[in-house]
Amino acid sequence: MKLNNVYIDDTFAEAFSMKATRIIITAMNLKWAYRAANAIRGFASSVIACGCEADIERELKPSETPDGRPGISVMIFAMSTKDLEKQVPMRVGQSVMTTVTTACFSGLQTEEKISLGKSLRFFGDGYQIAKVINGKRFWRIPVMHGEFICEESTGITKAIGGGNFLVLGKTARHALTACEKAVDEIQKVSGVITAFPGGVVGSGSKIGSKYDFLTASTNEAYCPTLKGQVKTALTAEIGSVLEIVIDGIDEKSISKAMRIGIEAACSFGPSKGIYRISAGNYGGNLGKHLFHLRKLFK
Amino acid sequence: MNALTFTLISRPKFTLDVSPLIPDNLEGKNITHIKNIKLRYGKEIVKLEKLFLIKGKNFNHVCIEKSCDKLIYIGKRMAKGLIDIKGDAGDFLGQEMKNGKINVSGDAGSWVGNRMIDGQININGNAGDYVGAGLPGDPYGMKNGLINIKGNAGDRVGDRMRRGIIVIQGKSGDYCGNRIHAGTIIALDRVGKHPGDGMRRGTIVLAKKPKHISATFKSCGNLKMEFLRLLFTQLIKMDPDFKIFKKYGPIAHRFSGDLARNGKGEILILQLINRR
Repeated sequence: MKLNNVYIDDTFAEAFSMKATRIIITAMNLKWAYRAANAIRGFASSVIACGCEADIERELKPSETPDGRPGISVMIFAMSTKDLEKQVPMRVGQSVMTTVTTACFSGLQTEEKISLGKSLRFFGDGYQIAKVINGKRFWRIPVMHGEFICEESTGITKAIGGGNFLVLGKTARHALTACEKAVDEIQKVSGVITAFPGGVVGSGSKIGSKYDFLTASTNEAYCPTLKGQVKTALTAEIGSVLEIVIDGIDEKSISKAMRIGIEAACSFGPSKGIYRISAGNYGGNLGKHLFHLRKLFK
Repeated sequence: MNALTFTLISRPKFTLDVSPLIPDNLEGKNITHIKNIKLRYGKEIVKLEKLFLIKGKNFNHVCIEKSCDKLIYIGKRMAKGLIDIKGDAGDFLGQEMKNGKINVSGDAGSWVGNRMIDGQININGNAGDYVGAGLPGDPYGMKNGLINIKGNAGDRVGDRMRRGIIVIQGKSGDYCGNRIHAGTIIALDRVGKHPGDGMRRGTIVLAKKPKHISATFKSCGNLKMEFLRLLFTQLIKMDPDFKIFKKYGPIAHRFSGDLARNGKGEILILQLINRR
């Protein structure tokens, strides 16, 4: 199968079950909301070592936020509820509460919840104030810039992490140009994030290593410099492979994001150095959610 | 579907306890059963059909027409549905109300929302004293919910309230927010003397400077209270009637108090309008 003369491998991306939440960060303007959102998504590229995966989902208009200020929707994914319970209050406390003029709200209304302001309120040292408005409980924590307002809890949901595809190009510059366009398109899909820096992974991994202490290591079959040295998955003209990893709240949103991402990457075609699209396939050892690349286009 | 409508045949001489007329009680009953519901009227017990004309099928929407201030305990312990009152309502409107909504086209008596647990009460006219307050001996007044009074309210609004929101679009009497434990009272016109006296926690938002504030409240100065922005935005989302809050901004003069009683409450006097 080919898309714009770019070969689509007959393979599948292998994703795994996660838990996710969505939080809304507001501030006096988008600049400061972005500062907080960028801080919370810092060092949250992969659950392998970061504890969670997080990224900005989209900008929110004042009419879409609980306090009528401009905001950012951020999604945070982790392997379990326990991990989310640990990561979310810690990140909101250190990244959002410390950012001037911000407030933090739940962006997901579900039965299952984890604490947000419920944990952070203690920073108020007894001067915090609880308010129930419209059936939701908010905490007003007095801070030096004024007040930090935070919803008591945020909903969590089952989610999927690790949807992915590989863009195989002539050089890193060619592959990155295609990936940047793909990420721009993926960001338009609701309910998905690309948690790696810029949405693109420069060092995709395989499960395990020759070293016992390492759970993931370089995916040598896709390393251009090892083409002559290992059992490679690359042909002679391919000089760089970049991966786009997508986390989403369900299979449908990930499938949609993968499809439009692949279409965007393939729009460059072989004449602009994009030769093949493949996917991270670990032989069924990683997760139960399989996204067959060719089925995405049926 | 037609609301289940009770039209008062004539104005009662005595107060009439109409607490059984709530959607929770009426659900599953046929009109004959409803007509035979007994109400206490003075020293007597009378059947409902002797006092009201009854029609309609939607038991989740109760309508009381030609209502007057002699009808007390309307919506007592109601947990769902809607009660529309065409006319006035007597004392204890929505007492111990758990959920649902009550709309009053006229005035309401005293003790509106007494021990209210949740739900919403809208009063188009005025309300008497002790809105959302607790009875003598009660530890708390209203515990949650929303009371919206378009007209004026009497004295001691929210006395000992524990949680919830009271909005008074007209004038309020003396001792507004007296002894409140927590919760929010918003008064958009003049309030009487001593607002917030003896309050432990909670918030009193005043659109106009009160006649008098007790010496046990300390000024924190003019501040941008982002909480007000959240409060007003959420109220606008809750009910289209609250579009009036669009003209209020977050800047307020904050007084903390009552310092004679913990001092964790606040009176916020709105400073500017049209500056969201």
